[in-house]
Amino acid sequence: MERLKQRDSGSKTALPKPIVAAKRRRQLYPFFFSMGPVALSICSVLLIGLMAVLYLTQVGQAETANQRIQNYHDQQAVLQRQNQDLAATIAQEQSPGYIAAKAQAMGLVPEDPNAVKVIVVKHLEQMLNGSQNNQTIQP
Amino acid sequence: MSMELRRARRRQMLIFMLVFAAIVILMGRLYYWQVVRAAGLALRANQEHVQSLVLNAPRGIIYDAQGHILATNVVRDDVYIEPIQFSIDFQGSYQSDLTTLVQSLHSVLPSVSESQLYKEFGLSLQTLRIAIGITEQQSQRLQSMQLPDIFLEPRVWRTYPDGSLAAQVLGYVSPDNNQGYYGIEGQYNTLLAGKPGSFTSETDLYGNPLVVGSSAEQQPVSGANLTLTINSTIQYMIQQGLVKTIKQLGAQGGSVVVLNARTGAVVAMVGAPTFDPNQYSAYANQTGCLGSESVYFNPVLYCAYEPGSTMKAVTMSAALNQGLITPDTSFYDPGYINFSDAPTVYNWADAAYGTETMTQVLEHSANVGAAYVAHNILGPSRYYPYVAKFGFGQLTGINDGPEATGFYRIPGSPGWTMSDLTRQAFGQSIEASLLQVAMVYQTIANGGVMMQPYLVSSINNNGKVSITHPQIERRVISTKAAQALTGMLEMVAEKGLGQPTQVPGYTVAVKTGTATTQGISANQTEASVAGFIPASNPQFVILVKIDRPQATIYGGSAAGPLWQTIGQQLMWYYHVPPDAVS
Repeated sequence: MERLKQRDSGSKTALPKPIVAAKRRRQLYPFFFSMGPVALSICSVLLIGLMAVLYLTQVGQAETANQRIQNYHDQQAVLQRQNQDLAATIAQEQSPGYIAAKAQAMGLVPEDPNAVKVIVVKHLEQMLNGSQNNQTIQP
Repeated sequence: MSMELRRARRRQMLIFMLVFAAIVILMGRLYYWQVVRAAGLALRANQEHVQSLVLNAPRGIIYDAQGHILATNVVRDDVYIEPIQFSIDFQGSYQSDLTTLVQSLHSVLPSVSESQLYKEFGLSLQTLRIAIGITEQQSQRLQSMQLPDIFLEPRVWRTYPDGSLAAQVLGYVSPDNNQGYYGIEGQYNTLLAGKPGSFTSETDLYGNPLVVGSSAEQQPVSGANLTLTINSTIQYMIQQGLVKTIKQLGAQGGSVVVLNARTGAVVAMVGAPTFDPNQYSAYANQTGCLGSESVYFNPVLYCAYEPGSTMKAVTMSAALNQGLITPDTSFYDPGYINFSDAPTVYNWADAAYGTETMTQVLEHSANVGAAYVAHNILGPSRYYPYVAKFGFGQLTGINDGPEATGFYRIPGSPGWTMSDLTRQAFGQSIEASLLQVAMVYQTIANGGVMMQPYLVSSINNNGKVSITHPQIERRVISTKAAQALTGMLEMVAEKGLGQPTQVPGYTVAVKTGTATTQGISANQTEASVAGFIPASNPQFVILVKIDRPQATIYGGSAAGPLWQTIGQQLMWYYHVPPDAVS
């Protein structure tokens, strides 16, 4: 009788209790992933593939944005170049030589200094502005 | 353990060892490539897809006093061909395609002949430049034609919209290295050039930088913009007048400087012959300053000359300031004067004027009178300090740039004798630049106070503006002496050799100069007129020098008419009211 009892008690302690066993099963197979190893592998591959697609999409969008930025830079360079050319053209057309040549082409002639008459008005006081007052800068 | 089990275990161990060995080898190779060779491989990878660009800084713009652009930048393309690539791309129909390409290129670039193009395409070169700095229209046509194995490389060029106007003041910039030479471009090159930046980033398949990726950028610092004191309109008017005068007189050259009498600012600085900085290389063999300097040098600053009788104003200033003479002090001028310790001095053409006042000495431009004042009244100890105070033999310091100092012997110098004193009194045996002589008259016009001459009125360095304020150099003579001398110089214009300078409606104060050079015929003179206008309230100092005029050799007749024209134009342009009531 005692041997049987000993044997029974020994076999009872070797097996885990049902509640503990269930807990362990839940740890290994959580609710959303209650699937076998094959299914789990397939899902993992699909998930990784999805992430890769998402990443590549982002990279593609970045490339498109980059190309757009590059186009804007090119446009900016072209516009800057045009701006510089226009500024140079304006400067050229404002130059005294250009104006004189255009005036001559229109039939205008330079003023003759000898033709200028100075008229003296007696008792007329000169109006001198600030820059024309007698000034000597003293050390 | 049974034999079979033992054998099985041994086989397992063997397989395990083999796999382990393979893994160790692989790990070793991995270590070799990932650690030992990492640096070199990373460098090679970076070289392939990481690009470092130099971002050129835009060169600063130069403006005149009115804000008109004197020097700016434009982008022009250079045209390159790829002969080797073309021969690879069009192996089958090389000749016919080459003919088409050459004809297309020549139609856009007529300056490059078809025979030259055929020759260049036959060269075994990867790339070859066939045209530089083509026009915008040519660039657009080439881009629209999309010719194979042809590409355009943009390059920044310095352009001077006014052509040769103020060329010797500005200098030029070489397109090969973007360095400035001569003039303002050379002197302020570091400031104008700015600082280049850099942009390092990964590139895409086409070599475009990936701006959304990792990149490092250092922005370029633009060059500073400079505003000069030069007035383009006055500069142009003087340049035209000087060229016309030189041609009329059969002269070898000339130069003019106009200063603001009160501030020392340079209103105009003209030299002839000159050059076009847009095509500076075409003038490499040309000279100015009577053949002594390259045409790129500014003659107003670099050409030292003997001032001649314009120097008499210095002699009279020294004596007036020390109370040794007055404008009415007289002496007898028989046309020559003997000295016990110096050679005899003669008037021009041995003219004798009899009893004359100091004012008349200047009116007649009598060498005898000047030598008498320097030798008999002043003496070396009272003469040379004034020559130094007027700035002779020293740099004017105009914008701290290079210039000629001139030269003259003083007591103690090797070879000095009293002959130097008597001759220097009327502007011989002394060399000075045009600016140095002009500063003498600026001093007299400004009541005896010499100002620091300057050419750059402001510098805008990326928003940080620094303005040049007029600066007093020193007081040279008293106000009273300056006024007395002004009165004497007025008489030179009214009654003396300066009559060609008279400007209707205005008083002028001038002194003419006719300098000969030792060893050269007396007919080869440097004719000049220096003075200021209006004499009653001086606004501008004008100095005109004509080199070796032939039609007339004298200062008054050669340089006087141009001086008058410049004076008149200045009065009109700046609306200076007339001060001569007659």
